[in-house]
Amino acid sequence: MIWQWIRFPLLFLVAVVMQTTVSKWIRIFDIGPDFIIIFIVLIALRRGPVVGALWGFFAGFALDVYAPVEWLGAHTISMVVLGFFVGQLEERFLTLNLGMKIGVLGLGFFVCDIVYYIAVGFDRGVVFNLLLTQTLPESLYTMICGGVAFKFLFAGNLKNKHV
Amino acid sequence: MFRITRLLKTIASIGHGLAVFVFLLLLAVFIRQADLMIKNSIVTSALSTIFFPAQYIIASIDDYYGKSSENEKLKRENAELRVELYRAKEGLKELSRLHELVRFEDTWDYPIVTARVVGRNPGRFLTTFVINRGKHHGLKEEMPVFSMRGLVGKISKVEWKHATVQLLVDPNLKLSVMEKRTRAVGILEFVNGRNLSAMIPTNAGVKMGDTLITSGLGGIYPKGIEVGVVNVIHKSDLEVMRNMEVLPFQEFSLLEEVFVMQKEPDWIVREMLK
Repeated sequence: MIWQWIRFPLLFLVAVVMQTTVSKWIRIFDIGPDFIIIFIVLIALRRGPVVGALWGFFAGFALDVYAPVEWLGAHTISMVVLGFFVGQLEERFLTLNLGMKIGVLGLGFFVCDIVYYIAVGFDRGVVFNLLLTQTLPESLYTMICGGVAFKFLFAGNLKNKHV
Repeated sequence: MFRITRLLKTIASIGHGLAVFVFLLLLAVFIRQADLMIKNSIVTSALSTIFFPAQYIIASIDDYYGKSSENEKLKRENAELRVELYRAKEGLKELSRLHELVRFEDTWDYPIVTARVVGRNPGRFLTTFVINRGKHHGLKEEMPVFSMRGLVGKISKVEWKHATVQLLVDPNLKLSVMEKRTRAVGILEFVNGRNLSAMIPTNAGVKMGDTLITSGLGGIYPKGIEVGVVNVIHKSDLEVMRNMEVLPFQEFSLLEEVFVMQKEPDWIVREMLK
């Protein structure tokens, strides 16, 4: 019972620790994976849109606090959108194989970044440049790391299980 | 209690979570559109309560990992520094003679506070970090922050025992710089989310590989702190100005310790900041 309550906060803490430590150590050409997005996608797929959006809000706000104060709220908006829409593919109702999950992660990463850039208010040219030089390689790297996490740490499907 | 739980569950199930989504999205948009003062108070209260201890723990883990490699590096640096110390002593003697000759004003005569980086923003761009020194240690807003390699940024927010440093790579920070060889003055800013960019007059003849230092104009940074090196020169829309990509002397995400110069802004700048 207690485990059920603390496992997601614990997982979030692990994701934040990995984002601020491991992600920095494994960067290649200044490109690193985003463990927070892996966490949100995982939660949303497991527990649906409500929990996904709630955790998206919390995680996004945590990121916003350390971003420039003028941009406060941009991460929150993008992560809420990510959590809600990925949550529509909840595992209790749909069967997703590993490839599909990784695809959802990559697509989610892209959508999340686009919403973020729009929320921040970057120019169209800058957004296009960032999508090519940062979002694309980072989403690929995140998909690889997310694939490992989905395969070995969170294997199994929850269809028809009510947890 | 049971009724409240049931009511919340009913609301959450409306439109497969649509009501919750709309509520959270509106709340997030409200935060995004809020006045800068409200945003500041939100961030300050969040940083001083939940996030500061959490970041301190994370920084400690990071610090522990880096200790052994740092030790080796420090030993090597120590040997090199001993050699350089001898050269520096000789250089200082020569410098003091020159000071007397040209009546050079020692503008860098400010107390220095050493600080450790205890928090970084884990978001898409690294634009600020938190240090473990604050008002208690004599820090104030707008004080310059630098490292062994060069300029890092300035203090943007000060709490009792910690402060936020606004880095050079923050798009909201603009800096007056001077090219070391030609003495041409320009403006440095972080433009497209990836590169530090400087606008310097074309006729100055700045080349790739030239070093930029702070110009001392603006009153916040003293003159002469190294900022970075000119990496790429672009043609600008304006014939009179050249747009240059600047490579900073340090990797901001790897900084662990910084120095804060206890220099307050000149009065003209203070008036401008009001």
